[in-house]
Amino acid sequence: MTLFLQYAVSGIATGCTFALVATGFVVIYRVSRVVNFAQGVFAVVAGMAVSSFLSRGLPHGPAEVLAVALAALAGLVVGVIAIGRRGTPPLASLIITLGLGIGSYAVIILIWGDQPVSFTGLAGLARMGGISVQYQFLLVVAVTAVTFGLLSLFFDHTYLGKALTACSSNPYAARLVGIDVRRMGLLAFTLGGALGGLAGVLITPLQPVSFDSDVGIAINGFAAAIFGGLLRPGTALVGALVLGVAEALVAGYYRASFESGVALVVMLGLMVWQAGRRSPAAEEGA
Amino acid sequence: MNRLRRRPLAFWAGLAAAVLSLLVPIALNDSQLTVYVFIGLSVIVVAGLSLLMGFAGQVSLGQAAFYAIGAYTAAILTRALEVPPLLSLAAATAFTAVVAVAVGLPLLRLRGHYLAFATLAFQLIVLSVIGEARGLTGGDTGMPGIPTLSIGPLAIQGQYRTFIYAYVTWVLVAAVLLFNRNLVRSRPGRGLRALATSEAGALAAGVPVVRYKLQVFALSAAYAGLAGGVYAFFVSYIAPGSFPVLLSVQFLIMAAVGGLGSIWGSAVGATVVYLLVQLLQSLGTGPGLPPQLPAILSYAVYGLVLVLIMLFLPQGLLPAIQGRISARRAVSAVESPARLARLD
Repeated sequence: MTLFLQYAVSGIATGCTFALVATGFVVIYRVSRVVNFAQGVFAVVAGMAVSSFLSRGLPHGPAEVLAVALAALAGLVVGVIAIGRRGTPPLASLIITLGLGIGSYAVIILIWGDQPVSFTGLAGLARMGGISVQYQFLLVVAVTAVTFGLLSLFFDHTYLGKALTACSSNPYAARLVGIDVRRMGLLAFTLGGALGGLAGVLITPLQPVSFDSDVGIAINGFAAAIFGGLLRPGTALVGALVLGVAEALVAGYYRASFESGVALVVMLGLMVWQAGRRSPAAEEGA
Repeated sequence: MNRLRRRPLAFWAGLAAAVLSLLVPIALNDSQLTVYVFIGLSVIVVAGLSLLMGFAGQVSLGQAAFYAIGAYTAAILTRALEVPPLLSLAAATAFTAVVAVAVGLPLLRLRGHYLAFATLAFQLIVLSVIGEARGLTGGDTGMPGIPTLSIGPLAIQGQYRTFIYAYVTWVLVAAVLLFNRNLVRSRPGRGLRALATSEAGALAAGVPVVRYKLQVFALSAAYAGLAGGVYAFFVSYIAPGSFPVLLSVQFLIMAAVGGLGSIWGSAVGATVVYLLVQLLQSLGTGPGLPPQLPAILSYAVYGLVLVLIMLFLPQGLLPAIQGRISARRAVSAVESPARLARLD
């Protein structure tokens, strides 16, 4: 039982980081209808940036904030290239984000090298109900909870957030009431970059990232995101937690090498299930 | 009228390309011939991927997985079960297509980006299954000693091994490209072209949309399986590391450069990208240069080419050139339209 709790807690923590990546996917997809293949890159960039900032003598806190800002900037750049040109169809944008993801490897290797990078987060263990929990886990969960709270406030109670939602539900009508849909798309990419960066900042102390860690991060995030059909952040959060716990249990009780297989199988399973409920003709209009 | 005037040019260009590709091996040395074989194998894979992306509007990031399945099926059949190589090659092609049907049946009902992620996931699963099934595949250390292609007692070996493989590969390339050309002009091809313009429109006109998409997906996988089989016989050693995700991306770049849905463009795209990567590899490896340089260069070029092509030449290199020529000759637009417009 203790072992189970231990696995579950670590699963919830990794699930939270998946949730942040997944929300990045959702925020971008809702507004621009683009699935951003470079989503995992933001996490890698932010994680590596923190370790650089720390080694340059910057204290914890500012280093993390700066790294998230850097990831947000990366998001904006990806957005400008992927959707900045008028009339780029979403699937072409998808291929562009894929190209940017691959191209970013060159930049990342150039700056940080091709070896895994890590830094120490919150050290120490907390005793909770008979098990010991790393403080970093608690930090991850707390930051994720706060982020989701802020996001829900932002989308429901600010004009900007409502404008983003308007763009996602009907871009044409949004344009009619004077919302600049393209600018909202860029804003979504920036937000997505920041969310990905936040995930990277939180996860790097738990597992070192290397330049090609982005595929694994993106796959976990995407698998969580399609729980909510790529549209609902709340469902994505639930999906991410389920996924995180399932992976931790598989890795703990069965085999660590099968951990990443869980996300793949869950993703394929979900897609197959969703496919059964849709007709191809309805898809085109959507 | 336009057809009458245009046809001879296309015909002679095609004939010239065919004759040239048959003459080229005579002038090449062994290592250049190896590159020539690899380019041919890429063309075969890209011909399928281009068809899938251009006509069915689906992105596959798992072509290297089908390539791997073809290679391993051919290798296991000939090495462990001692099936004649030619039969194994046919079986590898067919088996890859069957796997694609099983994977695509549910997934092709979804929008394009789902298949992109699903095929990526599929490739990772295939690679880990190959790595785990040590008894069958040799695991991560790979499978050495795959016999060469042979018909009865006639085996491709000895001094002219690479030379003959070059011809085998490029004859297959010609067959695949001709098949694609005839397919696009046939009745199902008209359905596919309708599908490429509007899925709902095609559905309304009685085109079995899902079935056609699935068949194109299976065909593209079969091509990859065929190329993979030849690859296994040619290099005689395969490992999971021979089929990284980056290889799938490379196929995608080749298809994009050649022009999605452009039949002859697949040959141009594969050749251009392969030679470009080779050139960068040789530029990046030298005394005094940092060991990561080749990797950095190839990642940068992959990214740059993909982004620039998608932004500025979405119809691809060859169709763009064809467009220029036919515009100058005041002949109607080229046969392959800018299909990306409907990649929705």
